[in-house]
Amino acid sequence: MDILAKLQILSGAARYDASCASSGSKREASSCGTGNTSQSGICHSWSDDGRCISLLKILLSNDCLYDCAYCVNRSTNSVERASFTAREVVNLTLDFYRRNYIEGLFLSSAVMQSPDVTMERMVRVVEALRTEEHFGGYIHLKIIPGCSSELVRKAGLYADRISVNIELPSQVSLQRLAPQKHKDSILEPMALIGREITSSLVERKADRRAPRFAPAGQSTQMIIGASPENDFQILRLSQGLYKKMNLKRVYYSAYVPVSADNRLPVLAAPPLLREHRLYQADWLLRFYGFSAEEILSDELPNLDETFDPKTAWALRHPEFFPVEINRADYLTLLRVPGIGVTSAKRIIAARRFSAITPEGMKKIGVVMKRAKYFITSSSGRSFEKHDRTPALIRQQLLLGEGIGAPPPRQLVFPSLYA
Amino acid sequence: MMAMNRYLYDGTADGLLSAIAWILEEERDPQNVALAEREDTLFEDGFFIGTDATQAESLFFRLRKQAPDAAYTIYSFMLAEKEGMETSLLHYISLAFTHGDKVNGYLTHSAVQEIVSIAKKAGRELHRMKGLLRFEKLRDGAYLARMEPDHNIIHPLAYHFRTRLRAQHWFLYDVKRRTAARWSNGALQFGSIEQFTTPALSDDEKKVQAMWQTFFKTIAIPDRKNARLQKSNMPMKYWKYLTEKQGVL
Repeated sequence: MDILAKLQILSGAARYDASCASSGSKREASSCGTGNTSQSGICHSWSDDGRCISLLKILLSNDCLYDCAYCVNRSTNSVERASFTAREVVNLTLDFYRRNYIEGLFLSSAVMQSPDVTMERMVRVVEALRTEEHFGGYIHLKIIPGCSSELVRKAGLYADRISVNIELPSQVSLQRLAPQKHKDSILEPMALIGREITSSLVERKADRRAPRFAPAGQSTQMIIGASPENDFQILRLSQGLYKKMNLKRVYYSAYVPVSADNRLPVLAAPPLLREHRLYQADWLLRFYGFSAEEILSDELPNLDETFDPKTAWALRHPEFFPVEINRADYLTLLRVPGIGVTSAKRIIAARRFSAITPEGMKKIGVVMKRAKYFITSSSGRSFEKHDRTPALIRQQLLLGEGIGAPPPRQLVFPSLYA
Repeated sequence: MMAMNRYLYDGTADGLLSAIAWILEEERDPQNVALAEREDTLFEDGFFIGTDATQAESLFFRLRKQAPDAAYTIYSFMLAEKEGMETSLLHYISLAFTHGDKVNGYLTHSAVQEIVSIAKKAGRELHRMKGLLRFEKLRDGAYLARMEPDHNIIHPLAYHFRTRLRAQHWFLYDVKRRTAARWSNGALQFGSIEQFTTPALSDDEKKVQAMWQTFFKTIAIPDRKNARLQKSNMPMKYWKYLTEKQGVL
């Protein structure tokens, strides 16, 4: 089989992995090699589904031993199978990198023969890239659950980011849909990676030349909508992963029907809006000081489809508003719908010079569309007066103040800045 | 209120910075001074300040010491090649000397807001081109990338690739401005190109391009097609030189 045909099969098989981040690692170029990494990450293209392409995202092989119901590469699915050699992946990566198509490589694989055999082949690819070719670009390596900890350690030394996919949000679902995968074989390497990252950071504080271990951290991914868990369960799981396992990112992947297996739900379309709302809630966990228990509860276990999670929270908490824009602290500003990290920081920087007026908010670049219902200003001219009962705000947010504009349903895939 | 003092300069970057240096030195209230390019019309009014390259350099040097973020903002602002913004730039620089790097937070001030937002736009395009630039391998083994960016970003872009692709010989060519950068044998040079002839590609180039085009097509999830999102992230004005978008336009 020629390389082009393999590439077609093995990139098509890799496209359901959501991560494309290339940020969080800064690697200087070596004098004889190719490539460096940029702290902020760089997107090189955007595919037809609107997702960013920053890495050559491929499987080493799609020839899988396992039979996970939700996966396109499951052993009982009749798809064409292919495997790359290590040299083929190395050359492809370098050819693409030299033309500035990519920021680096994201290598994953189906499980061939055994987890150890697979992981060893994957590690051999990145080892060749780093030590033979002196490749300094970004590498994201997937860990095959069940492989030896020695291989996990080796992977972390060559890669910028490593990840173990948690696949499904509960053990029950994992057992049902991916009977050959076990919760422990997923969580163990995660914990190991977390420990190695921490100890590498400690060692590098003492000695700058100590080896780095996965400097861009670890991430994971779970499939949304293939199993019955509610959003509250999912968010609490993510919260635990961020807090206890120190993960950089949890990716959510709306289940795309790739199988007619009767263990799976029948969906008309992938649950993209749900995925989008989960990402918004995930951002609230990581950057906005919210806890999963504030966003959802047992009584209210799923995210609102109509409103983003922060607006939904604000509508349930009228006692928190209005927020005084010239005095509120950073975390309070962050709770205002429509004010994000950038706007909150700008407000704080600008009010050092003078009190902020409504026109000032526009100059700063704060989008007032939602914020105006939740803020007030004691300086000079005040903001336009709004009725602040949640019911009325809800209605105005939905319909606009004029005549019935439909509510915006923008689907943005936040991916780059991990 | 006193009438605004009005000054003119010769239209060059050095002229602009040295005029600003002169005004900051001589005027008590630079916020009340206007600065514009001399246009040699009969009715032009204003006091002409001659260009002094050492003055310009020393101004930028002092600024870089006192307010490095502001100096970088001005550098990015200059990449935008915007005309008619001299007075705003003067006011911005005078504020930067008073407030240091905090000046960039003073977005409620019109001059700061204008300069910072133009600088941001230039910075955004620079970052974008670091990803969207495409090299093609030529017959002699060198790599060539053509582009038509809105901002004059060839210098900082070349610095980026100087470290990233240091092991290969490459050219950047800004088709609209007819300027080029060349990296070869550890030296970076800039120049302009009068007449550009497209050089022949290396034998395997089309093969590699076809692989990238294949990858680009198959990596998208068919059930999630979203052309609008793709275009908003990657505006069509950049497609002309994108390997993966050849034959699409």
